[in-house]
Amino acid sequence: MSKQEFLDRLRRGLNGLPQEDIEERLNFYGEMIDDRMEEGLSEDEAVAEIGNVWEIISQILAETPLTKIVKEKIRPKSPVKPWVILLLILGFPLWFPLLIAVIAIVLVLYIVIWSAVIVLWAIFVSLVAVALGGVVSAAYNLAIGRALSALSVLAIGILCAGSAILIFFASLAAVKGVIWLTKKAAVGLKHMLVGKERV
Amino acid sequence: MDIQLKRGLLDVCVLAAIKDEDSYGYRIIKDMKPYISLSESTLYTILKRLETAGMLTVRSAEHDGRLRKYYHITDLGLRRIEEFKEDWKEILSIYRFVVKEEENE
Repeated sequence: MSKQEFLDRLRRGLNGLPQEDIEERLNFYGEMIDDRMEEGLSEDEAVAEIGNVWEIISQILAETPLTKIVKEKIRPKSPVKPWVILLLILGFPLWFPLLIAVIAIVLVLYIVIWSAVIVLWAIFVSLVAVALGGVVSAAYNLAIGRALSALSVLAIGILCAGSAILIFFASLAAVKGVIWLTKKAAVGLKHMLVGKERV
Repeated sequence: MDIQLKRGLLDVCVLAAIKDEDSYGYRIIKDMKPYISLSESTLYTILKRLETAGMLTVRSAEHDGRLRKYYHITDLGLRRIEEFKEDWKEILSIYRFVVKEEENE
């Protein structure tokens, strides 16, 4: 890939970020390629050493706050025409509830995912409670001379303790999974907002 | 290695790379290479962070008919390196204690 091609791809991929940020990045990578070529690498080799354009774009987006991207996205590229403002005001009763509804749906979906995680933790807590109760009850039954009952409650308690350990690791994995999913979704959302040709 | 720890280490490494004389992006990466490898994107983020923190300043200078950015360490940056050295003296002494305990077991 030539230097120009690399920089063009990078520019297209970052389209949607503030213009000065893009220029600064491009100058930085351009300088890196030039310096490598000065050392005797061919243009192709120099560009290859910089790495995969797509990965670079993803890393940049992961580091850029979502608010910055959204702010740049909604900033009017040209002065807003009066009829657009009028339409926005007149359409307010229509678009505002819709906007609220969309935000609410996304939020609810996210809460539902976390609820599943909370359910797992709740199961864990109940299992621990039953296990402890089983031990106490076994001791009590033993004290009043009901050895068979003591043995069976103890068995149930141990069974629950074992399940609790398994559920504990599952819950932990679930929390990590959801956090990972959240990060992925954030980067995915940024990719959706950034990287299209400017109209 | 812990991400927070690594981030702090990289910051100081980049400061050390420009400590004696002003340097530029590619040279910083080359100078650090024998010790720690660093991608361009990561370096960019670190340089930005250090600039915002006032630990280095940037100037553009002409080189071979093109512009190249040179990074210059500030007093704040130099102080950061000294702090790092002090911190690690302490950490090293703790490390020696830990290792000695293990040997005695």
